[in-house]
Amino acid sequence: MSASGVEVSQEAGLVEMCSVRVGRVLYGVPIAYILEIVGSARPQPVPLAPAFVGGLVHYRGDVLTTVSLRQLLGLPTRDGPQDILVLESSGGCFGLLVDSVGEVLTVSSAEHEANPSILDERNKRLFAGAYKLKGSLLVMLDPERMDPMRLGAALAA
Amino acid sequence: MDELTREFLIESQEGLDRMEHCLTDLEERPQDTALLAEIFRSVHTIKGTTGFLGFKRLEKLAHAGENLLGLLREGKLRATGPIVTGLLELLDGLRGILKTIETDSNEGEGGDGVLIARMEELQVPAVMRAPQLIEARLKATAPAVEATPTTSVAPLTPEPMQAMEPGKAPQPVVDAPAEPARPRAQATAAESTLRVDVALLNRMMNLVGELVLTRNQVLQATAADPNLTMLSRRLDMVTADLREAVMKARMQPVSNIFSKMPRIVRDLTQSLGRRVRLQMEGQETELDKSLLEAIKDPLTHAVRNALDHGIETPDVRLAAGKDPEGTLKLRAYQEGSHVLVEISDDGAGIAVEKIRQKAIERGFITRERAAHQSERELLQLIFVPGFSTAAAITNVSGRGVGMDVVRTNVERIGGKVEIDSKVGKGTTLRLRIPLTLAIIPALIVRSVGQSFALPQGALSELVHIPPGQAATAIEWMENAPLYRLRGKLLPLVFLDRLLEPSGKHRLAAERDNFVAVLDADGRRFGLVVDGLADPEEIVVKPLSGVLKEIGLYSGATVLGNADLALILDPGAIALRAGVSMSAEEETGRAVEEEAGEEARKSLEYLLVEAAGSRAAVPLDEVLRIEQIPLSRIEYIGYRPVLNFEGQLLPVEDSGGVLAAAEGDPQKQIVVVVCREGNRHVGIAVSHVLDVAAGGDLFESGTARRTDGVTLLKQHVTSVVDLGGVPALPGAEEAPAAWSQMAETVE
Repeated sequence: MSASGVEVSQEAGLVEMCSVRVGRVLYGVPIAYILEIVGSARPQPVPLAPAFVGGLVHYRGDVLTTVSLRQLLGLPTRDGPQDILVLESSGGCFGLLVDSVGEVLTVSSAEHEANPSILDERNKRLFAGAYKLKGSLLVMLDPERMDPMRLGAALAA
Repeated sequence: MDELTREFLIESQEGLDRMEHCLTDLEERPQDTALLAEIFRSVHTIKGTTGFLGFKRLEKLAHAGENLLGLLREGKLRATGPIVTGLLELLDGLRGILKTIETDSNEGEGGDGVLIARMEELQVPAVMRAPQLIEARLKATAPAVEATPTTSVAPLTPEPMQAMEPGKAPQPVVDAPAEPARPRAQATAAESTLRVDVALLNRMMNLVGELVLTRNQVLQATAADPNLTMLSRRLDMVTADLREAVMKARMQPVSNIFSKMPRIVRDLTQSLGRRVRLQMEGQETELDKSLLEAIKDPLTHAVRNALDHGIETPDVRLAAGKDPEGTLKLRAYQEGSHVLVEISDDGAGIAVEKIRQKAIERGFITRERAAHQSERELLQLIFVPGFSTAAAITNVSGRGVGMDVVRTNVERIGGKVEIDSKVGKGTTLRLRIPLTLAIIPALIVRSVGQSFALPQGALSELVHIPPGQAATAIEWMENAPLYRLRGKLLPLVFLDRLLEPSGKHRLAAERDNFVAVLDADGRRFGLVVDGLADPEEIVVKPLSGVLKEIGLYSGATVLGNADLALILDPGAIALRAGVSMSAEEETGRAVEEEAGEEARKSLEYLLVEAAGSRAAVPLDEVLRIEQIPLSRIEYIGYRPVLNFEGQLLPVEDSGGVLAAAEGDPQKQIVVVVCREGNRHVGIAVSHVLDVAAGGDLFESGTARRTDGVTLLKQHVTSVVDLGGVPALPGAEEAPAAWSQMAETVE
């Protein structure tokens, strides 16, 4: 699917989301933010780093800081390789550590609903509503809010 | 010819070439202001630079031209034919002088009076000039000679007409560039150099960094395969050479920034009423361009500070019994992998007591801490932001405005700022700048199950404490671990406890302990790690902001085995662990300063054991100690050599270590790599025992100092004669009989 294809489908009310799985929940990340998907990586842990930091990975000659989605969601850490979405946010590139990356889903914006009011505050900050799929929800993530710098600043405050 | 002049020549030649183009265009479009601006810039640049270089003749001529061009640019004058001609003459005049500079390194003799007068003449608007001249211009196409103006430009008269004939190039009129068309016998500076975009150089540097990483990985992967050894060695050498070449391409002499200082000093001394003599040393020292740019402002700042607050006014100096003329010294030199830039003055110095009081008053430190802090630590306070801007401090201590800016700028490029000051004697500010940003040698250490890189720059030695000895070797004062290093207590920092404060740690007695003795800004401590791996040249990669904030890491790198490693910042670790600058270090320095050469007489030696007997190597000459399997020793004829970082190292084996180990290629031997004159030699030994201070021995009766032996730990020990290690064949014929090494006396 070409970049121009995204534009067209957006006009038709269709958007493309990359689905990722953490635990049993399906999350969605807008594909426009995704630079690359790195499979089965073992990030190097960083002692004394904030908990949300999943470690460092070597990515195209640079050292990339990753954010562990499990940690952000308050799930127990998992041993073994994980998949990494290399995301581009306004603050630069970073990696998002997820259990596994699934397929790209085309969803209709009509199916989108904002965060429910009963969601707790922490998750309200991370999620950007959800798409109603057949049989399940695709919980939207906002890559801008996952940026390590922003998370670090939030932690300090 | 120095670098600056050469650069000036290239720049000026390019500028004049552009000017020539523009001048010819200007004839067709006399109103084009962009063209005029371009011409003005070329001449202005030349004039500006000549001031620094002291080319008075060039400056005078360019100045005359600039005045004329200024009027043209402002539209007060129209670029008529005679003016363009005049400017072309100016161009030729400038070129002539530049050529003289390039061949003779000076401007040469010669009067430009005629040309300068012509520039001035042309500044008078045409209508006000003699009617003959106007007439001459009207009859432009005719080769008329009768229209000779009555002014001093007389000998140049035919020129305007010629220049206005379409398609005909102007002839040089001034005498100086007599043979402009002469074929150049040798390549000029402009031809042998090329200007390259810094962005491209940066990219090359990054790519070389990647190549170094890949090389490291290839070397590790092929280490076991003898078929690939030759290939990987070649790759190793080519990579090293390429890296050096690319780094060299980015190097510029510090004179590029030093040369701006005389002007600043002159201006400032005049406005401040000081008398200052500026001395500059080591201008040829080279530094990476980006680093040079980065220290330009701090250096200027430091010079301003020294003049403003350091050096006193002449009458104050006289009253203090000093030379009324102060001295400001700028010195640059290389020391290991750093370039040091020193700014020293013989001014009033900084009163440490006043800093102490102010620091307490302003709440930067508590009274208790202040009482314990050494002078050097208190001096560091002037770098604290806010502290430096306090007006009171500036008045009493005489230094400090914006010193935090100096430090911030220097630290941003991985450098350090040190300050030494003696009240009444003066202040020395030392900027310690790394040679390059991108690639540094580092020791890879292991802790908490991970690899970390420790920059070699801060590392002074390594001590191994086996599990059995840990209980006695590591002593505790309450909860402070200490190690006795040659009789002095060294504070220890356990890296695992620092990195995982809440984790479970094995006791020191249950494992191998490696103590990396570090010296970070005078803070000396031992960092205890679980294991050591090979030293590597690492490519520094920046960390994201959130990880920089942890404060212990200065970056990350990719190791030869493709693992990532965090780069530890020894200074930050010392601060975090509360290691302060040792008073002992300070007195040590003071003694050294006072006693000077006296203190250096008792040399330190590395005590080694070779096949049962002991020998000593002067510690100053020791570069590295390498443990290698015997299989890495190769032979040229009968002479053992070691391929060490791509270079052949002759190995001295008078102790018979290699012979004793023969037949067991996996046996580990130790090679002490030493400096001997400007070459390196290796000495094969079985063990390295200790470092000890040696005393001179005197022959009984004659009291003559004996050569080749020293008293180490109460034993007479022979000193290895490094000069006696013969050179490898090739450069000169190998001596037939070799290997006379001082015999070992126990």
